[in-house]
Amino acid sequence: MERIECEWCRLQNEPGATSCLSCGAPLDVRNLVTDSGWREAPRLRDLTEFRFSRSTVQVEGELVPVTEVALGQGDAVYFEHHVLLWKDEATPITAMPTGGGMKRILGGMPFVLTLAHGPGRVAFSRDSPGELVVLPLHPGMELDAREHAFLLASHTIGYSFVRIQGLANVLHGGNGMYLDRFVTTSAPGLLALHGYGNVLERYLRPGEKILVEPGAFLYKDAAVTMQAVQMPVKTGLLRRGMYLAEMTGPGRVGIQSMYVHHHAE
Amino acid sequence: MTVPEGYTVCQYCRMAHPPAGPSCPSCGAALDIKRSVTRSGWVQQPPIKDLARIQFGQSRVQIEGKYVPVADFTLAEREWIYFSHHAVLWLDPGIRLSNTSLAGGWNRMLSGLPLIMVEAHGPGRIALSGDHAGELVALPLMPGRPMWTREHRFLTATGNVTYTWQNTGIWYTTGSGDDKETHYPLGQLGDLFTAQQTPGLLLLHSPGNTFLRDLAPGETIVVQPSALLYRDLSVQMHLHLEYPYGTPRFTWRSSFSQRNVWLRLIGPGRVAVASVFGHTSSHMITGNSWATVRRW
Repeated sequence: MERIECEWCRLQNEPGATSCLSCGAPLDVRNLVTDSGWREAPRLRDLTEFRFSRSTVQVEGELVPVTEVALGQGDAVYFEHHVLLWKDEATPITAMPTGGGMKRILGGMPFVLTLAHGPGRVAFSRDSPGELVVLPLHPGMELDAREHAFLLASHTIGYSFVRIQGLANVLHGGNGMYLDRFVTTSAPGLLALHGYGNVLERYLRPGEKILVEPGAFLYKDAAVTMQAVQMPVKTGLLRRGMYLAEMTGPGRVGIQSMYVHHHAE
Repeated sequence: MTVPEGYTVCQYCRMAHPPAGPSCPSCGAALDIKRSVTRSGWVQQPPIKDLARIQFGQSRVQIEGKYVPVADFTLAEREWIYFSHHAVLWLDPGIRLSNTSLAGGWNRMLSGLPLIMVEAHGPGRIALSGDHAGELVALPLMPGRPMWTREHRFLTATGNVTYTWQNTGIWYTTGSGDDKETHYPLGQLGDLFTAQQTPGLLLLHSPGNTFLRDLAPGETIVVQPSALLYRDLSVQMHLHLEYPYGTPRFTWRSSFSQRNVWLRLIGPGRVAVASVFGHTSSHMITGNSWATVRRW
């Protein structure tokens, strides 16, 4: 029988499967693509299960989804400590230094991440209405996410951060000073982000551009460049400028519909 | 309103259209689901279906998402919309942005809208978001028939829709002397939108879910003031104060008052409420706009 390809992560699933084994996306509904070419992130059904390595993930709830991970022996996930919802008492946790300490503190990012090790159960929530975006990373991928958007990542994914280049980007870009960068080398991994509100994704061809509210930016392939550009309009009594993030392909760009207003200068 | 033969009237936006498609082409309301009416007579405004399209002029808007919906506009040549710059989610590089003229700026500033708004001119695509969990409510406007909406619910309107404001006249005071405070539970000003020579479209962001009902002439209902989303101008409103039975007239804490502050709506006309609203002060009322009072 013909296997079913997941339209979100491209995994070949067993015939008869209703949700993707790798990312949980429903397989029995079509991709929802807007007239303007944005693809809606798949809405994971309540209690959907998917797997990575020897672990199982279950998504619970739809409005403020909870991600529950049953970690297998030898597996681990890392996360910011304040996204923990509950854990088995016996599930071990350790600190994961991130490097670049002072820079990260200055940038408002966590200095130390937390690792939960299998075997054991642990659950996470970003504590706000939105969608869980599951991004299985194949070997050799690099993906950038806005700070404080990532919910968890499996231990096979390398974690670093990149400074947003250019003073204009830092001052007007609305994304702070750093982006989280997730990199896979030889092994695949699982990355889960929390998108506030609804999440839309679009693939930009080489050189194709789109202007995005900086606060709405959620993630991008590392190959996509981001540049703050000033719009020809003024805002408020002081006639301050309005800046948007110009994203240039090639690669994926993900945005969220509920965003922190960036500070117009 | 004369309804052309073979047309149906949308029960939500009251616009006539040919009976085809799963959603109303004027307001996006789902037409292929059963009308949901509560036992008390409120009609639940069905959330605009994901990816539903609304046509206006030569342009259209597609509503995307479920929790914090996005309004994705495809603007035709010579058509435009205006909005607050905070609402922009993304836009094609080709779309032309400009500031609205300062005409009417004083009105906007008084009512909490930006002094300087942004216009997006077609052709091109632009998407807006209300940036809070809730629903988008599309109100097609017929020329010369103004619509009253609660302040801060405006997302965008087509270029042919003019804006002004109206004092709500709904207030009460608490405290005295230097501690005296004036409260406007409905907001100090309401927004009035009117389409000019041609039909227009107004998009509101409604926090939570939206319910509407038609009040018969003289029919009344009391609602949480800040829950009111929009109303026909024919609906009258005033403050209604309600004191539960057994409420002590004098308490050890003289500034506290156990009572409900309501907005009393009087038909005829259409009213809509949102299920997310603010709360009123619990301090003793020392003065108020004209109100009916009920002591149980």
